[in-house]
Amino acid sequence: MSKVRWLLLVAFGTCMTLVLAPIVVIIAISFSPIDGFEFPPSGISLRWYASFLASDKLWGSMLFSFRTALTVAILSLILGTLAALALARSRGAAAAVMQSLFMAPMVFPAIILGLAILLFVRMVDTSPWLGLIAAHVLLGTPYCFRMVMGSLQAFDPALEEASQSLGAGPIRTFAYVVMPLIFPGMLAGALFAFIVSFGENNASLFLTSPGYSTIPIELLGFLQFPGNQLIVAAASTVQVGMVVVLIVLMERLVGLSRIVRSDSKS
Amino acid sequence: MTTTRAARSIDWARYLRRSVVLGVPLAFFVVCFLLPLFYLFIVSFFEPSQVELYEKRLTFNNYTRVFTDSFYLMIIARSLLASGIVLVISLLLAYPAAIVIAGFSLKWRFRILALLLFPLMVSNVVRAYGWISILGRRGVANTVLQDLGLIDAPLFLLYSFDAVVLGLLTILLPYMIISIANALAAIDRSYAEAAQSLGAGPWRSFWHVTLPLSSPGVASGCLIVFFLALSAYVTISLLGGPRFKLLVSLVYDTVVTFQWPRAAALSFILLLMAVAGGAVILALTRPQRVRRRRA
Repeated sequence: MSKVRWLLLVAFGTCMTLVLAPIVVIIAISFSPIDGFEFPPSGISLRWYASFLASDKLWGSMLFSFRTALTVAILSLILGTLAALALARSRGAAAAVMQSLFMAPMVFPAIILGLAILLFVRMVDTSPWLGLIAAHVLLGTPYCFRMVMGSLQAFDPALEEASQSLGAGPIRTFAYVVMPLIFPGMLAGALFAFIVSFGENNASLFLTSPGYSTIPIELLGFLQFPGNQLIVAAASTVQVGMVVVLIVLMERLVGLSRIVRSDSKS
Repeated sequence: MTTTRAARSIDWARYLRRSVVLGVPLAFFVVCFLLPLFYLFIVSFFEPSQVELYEKRLTFNNYTRVFTDSFYLMIIARSLLASGIVLVISLLLAYPAAIVIAGFSLKWRFRILALLLFPLMVSNVVRAYGWISILGRRGVANTVLQDLGLIDAPLFLLYSFDAVVLGLLTILLPYMIISIANALAAIDRSYAEAAQSLGAGPWRSFWHVTLPLSSPGVASGCLIVFFLALSAYVTISLLGGPRFKLLVSLVYDTVVTFQWPRAAALSFILLLMAVAGGAVILALTRPQRVRRRRA
């Protein structure tokens, strides 16, 4: 094997290690029987999972996160699909500007988004929970927009015209022709929005309050104090498991190729 | 006559429908994204207040104080340095990794990219905690090194510049790799073959053909990495500890102490840094060299 090829593989291995090591370690230590890490491990135990389930605070925020993410996924799906329907076949500067606007939250500093929405919530005097939903929907919509956009551009517009020329109105055309074709993209987008909302922790920093706290924010609180930290490992492993299930679901829906491309903003 | 009238009424219906379809998401983005940002911008020009969000007196102090205070200037320089280092390391690691991935069969390429995408879906808190359990005083690294007899006392690896860089690399490398690998995979192999058949060696054909053609992927990867490195508060605070501050930590600190106008000004300085850095990245990578093809 040539030296260049070898260097390339070393870089590849380093990348995979840097990216995956923290997650692998967390999964491994979440089964630790003691309060800490030991090597080699003296056994396997589920005690941290038990204390996770017993902690009303963590379990409560898990359920709150779940409800929030579900709401966010539905709203992001509606907004992202509408935006994609409006822009899929448009060209020109105005359409390009709007497309960038709908994609912007993906790269916009989330903590500043959280601050801006917090101030706005205070000015119009509404509940921070609405602000949290708004922030998460902003972060989830780009994924739905992009997924549905991809589905719309993949099918032949002649199908739509055929439906309309056969007498179907726009709403029937959407329900019977367009929607079945873009449905996998819509679902994948909604799953993305769900995952984003479930793991979000920078915009949420200022928008959560006691009783309205998402699981990443609650875990962050746990990490500020020493001791009992392995409960965080157990809770994290549960989250990792959920993400894996959702990604497998997306793979079934639209295939790996579309998922992987959807995240590169080229 | 009747047909034109019918056509016209259909046009009106279509116009109405289109404006609703576009109007709903647009209204949401204006009300929940652009308006709050505009309000934040306004607040940054007011005096702080003890009771209200701000005192109704215009001032530039929130900005001038930052640019005349050496503490703030040091933090700004350190933030740029940290983001710059993360950017360079991630580019140097990700480009070769992307070359390896682009060389895989289609099936394996997607599998590896999905494996890189999946950690992005896991909360930053979780991944920072992973590094805490590896680098902590009683963490994996110290335990293993001590058991092997390589060190006597635990090393202090956490709460440092290096730990922050490591943590940022973990969360940002996937963006860079996925972006470059997709760009590399899209390049028609016949270009490189043509260059080589015209007598260019593998290095020259890489430098003059492959590298420029991958510049859109490099540019978008660099932009995402730089933007997110500047603003990844949770990772920076968990791995940097309470004393290691970057600009985004100051944004957080001013918010939790209710110094709204100052927090707003710091936010816009952060955004300005992101935009300026983005312009430098675009000038260096020149992605516009490659005409975008519609997939």
